Amino acid sequence: MNISTAAIRTIALSTFGSFLRNKVILLFGSLFLCIVLLMMTPLLAYKAMTNPANAQQMQGLILNEVAAVISMVSAFGSLLAAWAAADSVAGEMKSGTILAVMARPLRRWEFMAGKYLGVLMLMAVYVVAMLGVTFLLAWLGGQSFHASLWTLIVYPLVRYAVWASIAMLLVTMLHPILVMGVVVIAMTLITVFASASRHIPAWLRLPVHLTLPLTGLLSEERFLVITKASLKPFPWTSHLTILAYGLDYALLCFLLAVFVFQRRSLARD
Amino acid sequence: MAKPAIEFAGINKVYQRRFGGVQVAALSNISFEVARGEVCAFLGPNGAGKTTSMNILMGFIYASSGRSCVLGYEPGDVRAKERIGFLPENFAFYRYLNAEKLLQFHLRLSGRQLADPAALIASLLAKVKLDTYKGLKIGKYSRGMVQRLGIAQALLGDPELLVLDEPTSGLDPAGRKEVRDLILALKAEGKTIFLSSHILSEVEQICDRVIIIDRGHMVRAGTMQEMLAEDNRVEIIVDQLPEALEQAVKEQGASLEREAHRVRIAVDVAHKRALAEMLWASGCDVVSLTPMKSSLEDTFLKLVAEGGAP
Repeated sequence: MNISTAAIRTIALSTFGSFLRNKVILLFGSLFLCIVLLMMTPLLAYKAMTNPANAQQMQGLILNEVAAVISMVSAFGSLLAAWAAADSVAGEMKSGTILAVMARPLRRWEFMAGKYLGVLMLMAVYVVAMLGVTFLLAWLGGQSFHASLWTLIVYPLVRYAVWASIAMLLVTMLHPILVMGVVVIAMTLITVFASASRHIPAWLRLPVHLTLPLTGLLSEERFLVITKASLKPFPWTSHLTILAYGLDYALLCFLLAVFVFQRRSLARD
Repeated sequence: MAKPAIEFAGINKVYQRRFGGVQVAALSNISFEVARGEVCAFLGPNGAGKTTSMNILMGFIYASSGRSCVLGYEPGDVRAKERIGFLPENFAFYRYLNAEKLLQFHLRLSGRQLADPAALIASLLAKVKLDTYKGLKIGKYSRGMVQRLGIAQALLGDPELLVLDEPTSGLDPAGRKEVRDLILALKAEGKTIFLSSHILSEVEQICDRVIIIDRGHMVRAGTMQEMLAEDNRVEIIVDQLPEALEQAVKEQGASLEREAHRVRIAVDVAHKRALAEMLWASGCDVVSLTPMKSSLEDTFLKLVAEGGAP
């Protein structure tokens, strides 16, 4: 089978280009950036109020602030990945542009692969930009980072790849708004299960763990130590296992998405 | 003998509503062939199933049953798609691109390797008279301009088969004539063209064959000559017809229409000789005697009204 890498690349670049012009993404991106920048104000205030007497208390406040921003960046990134993936496929089908595209010598899976790569390109830009924002916040707060740069890039990227593939699978069957509803519910369930795991009966815990992605494992926050404490050693094998889990989950969802997309109607009925 | 460009054999398409389970039969036992090098019109009233058939042909949707083949391959096969140019009904586009960028995008997807792709794009834009608007964002184009751009993108891959879903829709009379001339030029180059249209006078001018469907059922397929020869009457034109003779003419089953300086008499071909001789014998000057041809529109309306579909 002759795979058209040029066609996949063309679709990926076109998808990425369309995201940069997508009004919804630009609006929410700008709003989010405003919130992050607004959060710098209390950070600077805490810093200004710090004196030898309250240093420890202020240090704690600043750390909480930076941690809150990192959590927001992470949650927003997951939602952005899901929305971008869902919208990139559903938008083409709704507008009808998919017909002229799929009339070209392009297989359905190649189209999906191009779309997926376009989403990952967007998320790579997001990860790098947010990493810059996080470093800026930490620097403003007088904190120093203790983490390998690659973990701060690869881990969130794999996590976003998981959410993008889930959304891509769901959008082959559901409206994008419903897809986002399912994604938000899944994210909430994962958080609830992670924090209250001990109180949940085993018969419920197991199926949830098997079906929902364990995105907590893929959190870069596990390696991001923003105190002066030394970084815990984390062996390469563990990194490989966790990243392989994330990539495997993303690949499985993507292949299921391709399988469903292969069988569905591309035209509006 | 070369395999037909398009083959549909017993195609059925049933849409199943997701909730409630209501089934809607969009196509029922549709069978036809389009030979290579032929210009074939696919006609039917709105909702007849033309676009559904074209979507099956392009591999966008799957038939519920039956067999279909395009250029010797299953619909949707990339080997077939490499040789097909397609214009969808209501061609949609990326509004933020201009015509040149959109054609570059489609050219890259087509996989066609060219020494000078810009020259091809420029020539296609000139062909559809959009060369002066190539820098304008497509979102600002009129409906007719978008349609022309759609035609240009269909021609990008130098296709062997063109599938055009209402190619003249949205165009003004001059634009329609240009598209008609373009199709005739492509026909002269030996391309196979399969098109749907509601403008039957145009179809009559450019197509070799016609397939008519209605409510998902085949009504008629045949050459244009066969379609136009449906009328089994002849028209006799005489310079004058005395009123005393009118009754005798009508007794032959003829209908007549008086004009300023002549009278048109339409009669069944079986009675033409008897009637013509009677008119000569009565001193009428028979100006002409010609087989009557109904227009494609007449034939189409008659076939659809007869209820070709159950």
